[in-house]
Amino acid sequence: MKKYLFTILTIFLIVVGCTKFPIDEDGLLITDREDCYISNLELLGADQRSVLTEKLVVIDEEKLTISAEVQFGTDLRNIYPQFSLATDAKLDPKIVGKVDFSDLEHPKQYTVISGNRKVRKTYTVLITVQQP
Amino acid sequence: MYFKNFSILSVICLASFLFVSCSDEYEVPDGVTKLTNDCIKRSLGPNVVGGQIEFAYAMALPREKGRLVSARVQASISGAEGTYMEHRSYHTDDVGTDVGVEIGSPSETNGGVTEVHFTVDTCASTLRYYYIIPEEARGREVSFTFSAESSNGQAVNYKMGPYKISNMDMKLDIELKNNTYFSIEDMRTYTPAEAAQHPEKIDFIYLFRQMRGVKFLHAFVSPTADKDYLPGVTVPESFTNSTKMMRVYASADQQLARNEFGVFVDDVDLQQIDVSNSPIFVINMVETGGIWAETADGRYKAYIYINSAPETRAGMTVSMKRLKVR
Repeated sequence: MKKYLFTILTIFLIVVGCTKFPIDEDGLLITDREDCYISNLELLGADQRSVLTEKLVVIDEEKLTISAEVQFGTDLRNIYPQFSLATDAKLDPKIVGKVDFSDLEHPKQYTVISGNRKVRKTYTVLITVQQP
Repeated sequence: MYFKNFSILSVICLASFLFVSCSDEYEVPDGVTKLTNDCIKRSLGPNVVGGQIEFAYAMALPREKGRLVSARVQASISGAEGTYMEHRSYHTDDVGTDVGVEIGSPSETNGGVTEVHFTVDTCASTLRYYYIIPEEARGREVSFTFSAESSNGQAVNYKMGPYKISNMDMKLDIELKNNTYFSIEDMRTYTPAEAAQHPEKIDFIYLFRQMRGVKFLHAFVSPTADKDYLPGVTVPESFTNSTKMMRVYASADQQLARNEFGVFVDDVDLQQIDVSNSPIFVINMVETGGIWAETADGRYKAYIYINSAPETRAGMTVSMKRLKVR
């Protein structure tokens, strides 16, 4: 009996393990998920420490904006942004290093693409600088 | 059937292990029959002028062959004042403490040669050698030849190096008071009155401010920075330097921080760091953080580490490494 159970389990694992998702141009799996959102934003300075103030980051899903306040004196030309995305989603443009957020009149925009690559949402990052 | 297969497999494995393990038989080496020596370099990190390179030199011969007479080090470039060899042989006790036993008279240094003469009857000893890096070694290589002699006329030597000596300078524990001016070139502070005599040398002003609603606290600010970052400071127009500064955290240089972490800033780091896109001020500096900086004229680059910076009052202690890049 044990022998049969073991065989069935092995076959099941092989079948499940061999289920293939296609891979996109970035080498990421294209899955069935339709979720498409940014759940959080962190901004790090050149020293890899957060430059956000104690005010919470506000994500408006209707206006598709992310509002964040950074500390007085923050060097906005050298910011490492970190986005938390829905499962299997990806970001465009990719974050590959420091980002220049110093042009506050022309806020940066980032597009989230769902796991199935069929839903896209473009968020605008609105940064304000804390004032004394 | 299952047990039969298992038995056959076990026999094959055992046989293969025996075959492999018997292929190289270990032979107990012969005991030491003559004077021998060994040496390790104990200090780590870049070799900076004014700093020291530390070695532990061990020498021994069989008890019945005689005793140690002298130990000697020849440095290819004479060490600076303070270079010496210990006249105590160290061993580590049960709780890990180094215990020194005096074996001779204090070392004598003449030129590049440092020597200790044994005055006790011993056949084994480990002596430490401290080489203070002289100015003339800057940017060059230095090597060492350790040697020992025993009472039976035998002599041995051991070569160490060459070791590259850094071009950069290092200064430890510089005290900064509120509203003092700082020169990277001189690696020192200036009072406002002194700074007024040498405005071209001033790269930034250290200030501490507790401000409502923002974290300003400890700050390094170039004289030409926006007045928002120089509250309560009036900088004369003769101060024209805009010093680029990039804040850094959690990469404490071991020689500056003197902690256990093996991170070292060397010439190459200062040569390669690019702060051209950095601001000319940094505020809210914290202990164990620091900055990479470049003087306005591009002649010097520096890494400044913050050894202490109390959160509630002015005053800071920093240590720095600085390289002349052109």
